[in-house]
Amino acid sequence: MSPEQRNEDPGISYVTVDGIEGKMARVELPDGTTEDWRLASLPKGVKEGDVVRLDVQGGDVNLKVDHEETDRRHALGQRTLDGLNVRTPDGDLEL
Amino acid sequence: MRRLLLLAALLGGGALAQTALPGVLTLRFLDVGQGDAVLITAPEGQSLLYDGGRSEKRMTELLTQYGVKSLAVVAASHGDADHITGLIPAVQRFKPKFFLNNGIAATTQTFGKLTASVKAAGTQGLLASDRVINLGSVKVTVLPPPPSMPRGDQNLNSVGLLVEYGTFRALMTGDSETAETQGWLKTYPASKLGPIDVYKSIHHGARNGDSSAWLKAVRPRNVVIGVGPNNYGHPTSEALALYKGVGAAIYRTDLNGTVTVTVQPGGKYTLNTEKGTGTTPQTRPGAATPVSPVPRAPTPIPTLPPSSVTYPNCAAVRAAGKAPLLIGQPGYSRKLDRDGDGRACE
Repeated sequence: MSPEQRNEDPGISYVTVDGIEGKMARVELPDGTTEDWRLASLPKGVKEGDVVRLDVQGGDVNLKVDHEETDRRHALGQRTLDGLNVRTPDGDLEL
Repeated sequence: MRRLLLLAALLGGGALAQTALPGVLTLRFLDVGQGDAVLITAPEGQSLLYDGGRSEKRMTELLTQYGVKSLAVVAASHGDADHITGLIPAVQRFKPKFFLNNGIAATTQTFGKLTASVKAAGTQGLLASDRVINLGSVKVTVLPPPPSMPRGDQNLNSVGLLVEYGTFRALMTGDSETAETQGWLKTYPASKLGPIDVYKSIHHGARNGDSSAWLKAVRPRNVVIGVGPNNYGHPTSEALALYKGVGAAIYRTDLNGTVTVTVQPGGKYTLNTEKGTGTTPQTRPGAATPVSPVPRAPTPIPTLPPSSVTYPNCAAVRAAGKAPLLIGQPGYSRKLDRDGDGRACE
């Protein structure tokens, strides 16, 4: 691997599996946009909501489900949502 | 002149303001591309946005186009990005009173941005439960996910809405799948679920959405499919066959643009499209739709060929020695082609 290649390696990034539609997966890219990837291009057994770690080194791309990051994000999101819902009013609403 | 304006508004013209007309309920099945978004405005002016599509920019354009001045409620049927992304600018702009949700967090940045926006706006979270939201004189019944649904599955925890005004009834059930609709069939009497005048197709016409058992209860007279160019084959021939089989007229936002339903006091309604017409309903006694759509066969939408190689960014493309990537080559994506000239990572 040349120094130029080393400099251009993006290293580690994360994508999130937003949805699985048949043989396709809708993934959220690091910039927040979504893109459709072939499900077969993702780690075997990947599920909706999983965070996938991409490690690009010397032109090789290594992908694996990052269960810790998945759990961390889910827990954080759930805490936030629970906090928003904690004062959900009872009964019917008049607007 | 006043009469002309009223007539134009009743016809649901795209550039008209969303200002409420006395006695008239308006539902707009918004053309957000591949995704769902339904804007409901009561005769008294209160609005509810059920899902927001997949693009902040597109939703911002639509809110401006339809002259939306306020939102009382934003509702996320579930946490998938093609349903919630457009809710972000809606919340930021209008600071709605309530954010209706299924109570299950997604792991995307989009979900985090939405909840952060809800918090910043001072909007109250509203966990879906059996309740009625009276949007002025419009009765909106919340259909929460049946309790037996697995919490790890967003689609199966979609929140449904039944909208009633006079005799008019509309039903929206997100991306629910058979297990959830079976749960609802056990929960609610058939008389509550159907017949439905205007029904939002489940999951953009996916194979795992609508079923004959469910549609037998819902008995939709008109079906609107929120769909745009996609890689998933939506709407599927199976779903289209189901809708035709129950005698429903079919409208598609990819072919018809935004579909507007205007409901008069008592429940008489009209459907108008931005372009084209829906398909003719099959003959069925009692399925009276006050519009006479011209027969039109659904045309297949183009699907993009799935790429066998993907790159997270241009650095990865260059690292693989593939730059520039030309459109059609493995790994090409519009995201990498900033100037859209068909040459990515130039």
